[in-house]
Order: sequence, then C-alpha cells, then structure tokens
Amino acid sequence: MDYLLQGFLQGFVLLFTGNAETYSAIWATVGASTLSMAASLLIGVPLGFLLGYRKFPGKKIVRTLVDTLLSFPTVVIGLLVYAFLTRHGPLGGSGLLFTIPGVAIGQTLLGLPIIIAMTSTAVEALDKRLPMTLITLGANSRQMMWATVIEARYSIMLAAMAAYGRIVSEVGISMLVGGNIKWHTRTITTAIALETGKGEFAMGIALGMVLLTVALLVNIFAVGLKKRAVQ
Amino acid sequence: MTSPLISLNNIRQKYSDRIVLSIDSFDIAPGSIVGLAGPNGSGKSTLLRLLAFLEPPANGTISFMGRPTFAKPNAVHREVTLLVQEPYLLKRSVFANVAYGLKIRNKNDIPGKVNRALEIVGLDPDVFCKRQWFELSGGERQRVALAARLVLKPKMLLMDEPTASLDEKSSTLIRQAALSAREEYGASLVIASHDMAWLKAVSDCIVHLEKGNIIDTVCPSPEK
Repeated sequence: MDYLLQGFLQGFVLLFTGNAETYSAIWATVGASTLSMAASLLIGVPLGFLLGYRKFPGKKIVRTLVDTLLSFPTVVIGLLVYAFLTRHGPLGGSGLLFTIPGVAIGQTLLGLPIIIAMTSTAVEALDKRLPMTLITLGANSRQMMWATVIEARYSIMLAAMAAYGRIVSEVGISMLVGGNIKWHTRTITTAIALETGKGEFAMGIALGMVLLTVALLVNIFAVGLKKRAVQ
Repeated sequence: MTSPLISLNNIRQKYSDRIVLSIDSFDIAPGSIVGLAGPNGSGKSTLLRLLAFLEPPANGTISFMGRPTFAKPNAVHREVTLLVQEPYLLKRSVFANVAYGLKIRNKNDIPGKVNRALEIVGLDPDVFCKRQWFELSGGERQRVALAARLVLKPKMLLMDEPTASLDEKSSTLIRQAALSAREEYGASLVIASHDMAWLKAVSDCIVHLEKGNIIDTVCPSPEK
C-alpha cells in the first residue's frame, strides 16, 4: 500500500509545484475538450431542439439512431476519425491527425449524440401549456422557438455537463487520433494510461485527482441544474 | 349600433367526429363583459379556445373586428389573450414574466408598465418583481399571469375559471383587475366560471351553455 500513498503524495507535489509535463497534459485536455464542447453545443443544441420541437417523417428513426450513437465506443469513433484523417483517408490533406483539433473532432462525435438526445428530450418534456401561453401572449413562430429554448435552458446545460463528463474522461479517441504525443497531444487520460503502464503512479494519480475534481464540480453543477429543470 | 369585436357564425367544433360545440350566432360587443356558465363538458373551454384563435372551427366563421381570422393569426393573438385556470409561468422572474409580451412587441417604458400591472393585481412590485417563478403561491401565480396579460392592454381578455381554487382575497383582486381592464382601456372580457355569484358580480350578460349549445343568455341589471 506504500506505493499508493507515495503516489498520492507525489501527485500533490506534481500538481502544486506546477510540474510542466503534468500541466501539459491538463492544458491539452482543456484545449481539446473546449473545442469539442463548443462544436457539440453549436451543432447539437439546434439539431436536438429541432428533433424535439418539430414533427417530420422519419423522426422516430432519427431518434433511434441518435440513441444508438449514445453508446458508440470511443475506440470505434477514434478508429473512424483516424481513418478519415490519415494520409490516405478522405481528409488526409487536412493535417489534423495527431493534433488537438483532430482529437476535438472525434470528441465532438462523442458529445453530439448526448447533446442532441438530451436536448430533444428536454424540449419534448416541457410543459404542454407553454406553446399556448406563448401564443396567447402574442409570440410569433420565431419568438416561440427562442422562448422554448430558454425554457429548456437548465436541461440543455445538464446535457452539456453530461457530454463534458464523457468527453473529458475518454481515452480511445485521444489515444488513436491524438497519438499520445508528449508536450503536444498527451491528454490527462492518455497520460494516466501511459504512466500507469510504466509503473509511474505519481503522475497518474495527480492527473486522476484533476479528473475527479472535474467530475465533482460537474456533479455539483448538475445537481443544481436538475433542481431548476424540474421546478 | 357598434359593430361586434368578435362574431361567430354557424360554428361547429368537432373532436374525433364528436360535435362539442354548436353555435349559430354569437357576438361580443367592444367593452362588454360576458360570463360563460354551464356544467363540465358544456363547451365553455372550447368556446374560449375558439375565441382565443388557438384552434380553427371545423365549420363556420369567426370574425375579429369585422375581418375573418386565421389568415394572420399572430396579428389577432396580439389583441386577444387568454388566462387559464392553472396558467403556465415562464421559468423566469415575475418581472420577466410580466414584461415578456411587452418585449416581443418592442414596447418602451417596460418597468413602469410592469409595476403598474402588478399593482392592479394587488402585488407589490418592490416585493414581487425579483421573485422567481417557483417562489409563488397558487394565487400569486394566477395574479402574475393576469398581470402579464393586462399589461398588454388587449382588446379582448378571455378567462377560464380564473378564480377556481383561489381564496376570497385573490378572487376579489382578480375581479377588480378584470373590471379595471374595461374601465381603463375598454377591453372586452369573456369569463368562464362555475362560481355563479362571482360571475353575476362581474358580467354584463351571462351565457348558459349545455352540451355545446347556448341555451340561455341573461343580462342582469347593471348594479356593479
């Protein structure tokens, strides 16, 4: 058990002395997750809103597809993105393989189904009196759509939290698309995998503590949002 | 003779091929207060939904200020508003709820108008403006919803069981606020209620409905 205790102590030292390698992984994670969250929200919220708000032929099929993508394994997403970004792939000329934006593309594919599914569910679950209220207050179609988004805001934020939790903790995409390149694309999770493989627990524990802190903060926000969403 | 604000002609409304409302002719004059009475299922709420232009009739025509509607429903929705028994409040502060209709109409002096509307329904703006939607009692919610409609100064205010499950104080405040809508800017009101005493106290005429038909119209002497 000593090595675990020592790992914890060394982990704290690495975090509080600003160890460059540790913080490189943290910043790579922050960079990739910020890009992917921005893309997931920009694409996912409008699509999720339309899926929940509008009726159209094939809606059930789209819904089933989105729900299926919720359980898409990260290594499979990583493999697909790798296949597209590799030199011989359709997007091989983009130079995105083994870069943070490349990882962000894969993570966006991971986050999108969560944002779309949870946003559409949130919009569908809104009080049935809302459309009538907005109509009788004089809102036009565009104003009604915007007001509906605002009414679902806490649930949409909850969707963002869930997507962030999944994105920040994934390994498969970062490993395959990022390549786990030191100082460049090594993220928290790929660094933990590598360091643990090498028997270097300290950095793994330090980075694990960062992930746990992120998870804790996400959950604290999520509890507050859940309360607001159902009020 | 003044032309009616809303005119219904040969109206039939069906739900699943069942006729739930059948009215040959029904006019509402500007500035009048019409009470709707009748048992559950008599067609009061359906009539209010038609008058609010929330659904088109299966047959017949509804005219607003002499013009057939449903071509430009949003323009009419800006003049006719409906308050239901259990109104929905937006997940915002009381101020934002009352101000919503004004904002989407790009009106000015919104704070002044919101404060005035809250005072009409007996809510102190200093106390209630910042309150959130979940911090209100049932009676307060109803009054905030009424304020959100009164602030728009609609030509017609429709109310469906506005005092059901409210205490006497709230009922009185709702009644006074409804009357002020006519006194201050000449709104017409149509109010559906089971509370006959309340309805008689507030209405110029009471229309009795049964099984989707108007069976009687009584206009008591004006003693309010």
